[in-house]
Amino acid sequence: MQYSLILCRSLTYAQRAARMLERAGITATVRRAPQGASDRGCTYALKLRTSALARAVEILKNAGIPLGRQFHIAEDGSLREVEA
Amino acid sequence: MIYLDAAATSFQKPVTVRRAVLDAMTRMTSPGRGSHPTASRAAACVYACRDRAAHFFGVAEPQNVVFTFNATHALNIAIRTLVSPWDNVVISGYEHNAVTRPLAALGAKVRVASGRLFDQESVLEDFRRLLPGAKCAVCTHVSNVFGFVLPIREIAALCRERGVPLIVDASQSAGVLDLDFSDLGAAFVAMPGHKGLLGPQGTGLLLCGGSAEPILFGGTGSQSIDQTMPEDLPDRLEAGTHNVPGIAGLGEGIRYVAPRMTAIRAQERALTALLAERLRGCEDLELFYAGGETQTGVLSVRSARHNCETLAEELAQNGVAVRAGLHCAPFAHRSAGTLETGTVRLSLSPFTTQRETERAAEILCRLVRA
Repeated sequence: MQYSLILCRSLTYAQRAARMLERAGITATVRRAPQGASDRGCTYALKLRTSALARAVEILKNAGIPLGRQFHIAEDGSLREVEA
Repeated sequence: MIYLDAAATSFQKPVTVRRAVLDAMTRMTSPGRGSHPTASRAAACVYACRDRAAHFFGVAEPQNVVFTFNATHALNIAIRTLVSPWDNVVISGYEHNAVTRPLAALGAKVRVASGRLFDQESVLEDFRRLLPGAKCAVCTHVSNVFGFVLPIREIAALCRERGVPLIVDASQSAGVLDLDFSDLGAAFVAMPGHKGLLGPQGTGLLLCGGSAEPILFGGTGSQSIDQTMPEDLPDRLEAGTHNVPGIAGLGEGIRYVAPRMTAIRAQERALTALLAERLRGCEDLELFYAGGETQTGVLSVRSARHNCETLAEELAQNGVAVRAGLHCAPFAHRSAGTLETGTVRLSLSPFTTQRETERAAEILCRLVRA
């Protein structure tokens, strides 16, 4: 299973986004973003299946949730930035 | 003990509130500080309370619900955001020191829309007269001394028409009267968690219409590289570790109150009417009672022959808990003409019974006649 990350501006935004996606049938878990994913220090991210990434980004953008960078998580755990 | 001091702090809490506090202390740590289970549970708990409060008070975005230590903390943030030294600020004549002292500390020029006690139209008229040229208005929804319900919707509409941002102090109305943030269009609404919302002491909420200026700076678990506070709410205003047990309890308090608010309001008003009726027969006792829609479950009284502090002390000795004095609201006493004497305040909660109300009236009458 391939997973992706969506960075969020705060824990509260990440929680709100996760609930919104849950209502749309997309499972996303809130977790701290890996070191280096953000250039502004600690932040939170949504982890979700890569197959749902594009739809999730669309839903959240339409809802006005500010989103940060997005990444695919490789099998070795490394991140590759993508644009959904 | 017959507890009639709920306007200060509600004493009896739903069992679910106590359980939630204990659960948080047993199984949770700090939200936004880790991915381990105790931090994750705390994060979920805090968000659930934030979301519940947003729904209950008609706040469109849950991040605009900010946790504070109490209403005073929330009011300080709101006032510091909107008011600068020498600004003209209109306040009602029923404000608490939680409003007037921050304004004095800032050096604001305060104009008081005093109005007559229990006369909503006179308060509205004073706001109408004083609002032009004001930088900001601050108004309590309900007087903590007299239970006087101010016409907050009409005052909010006036402020919107005149383009004056409004701060509402909902300390005595949250959990008792209908309060819809979106409908009011206020800049901020501040409230404690420990009164009508039946949460623990040390909790409060600030509902924000837009961004705000922090008065406390520190860690937020986000954007840690930056040496300025994050721009986004709620992080901007929530530096440091949250009061997770308090917030857990507050969440359950809101859950308890939300479906019962109409019944709570009706019961408190009915028992206040009963209290007033019983006390009317007591000579030498002046009642500040209007009843109906213009008063909540708060009743002030005073006696020409008895000092209010002494009377409150005697009531305490006879098992009735009340508060006496100026109730941190000298402006309210000045507006009502009770600044020199103060009052004895009896304030009801959802847990006050008819028997307790009758018994308290009986004891008070006996003490006054002595």
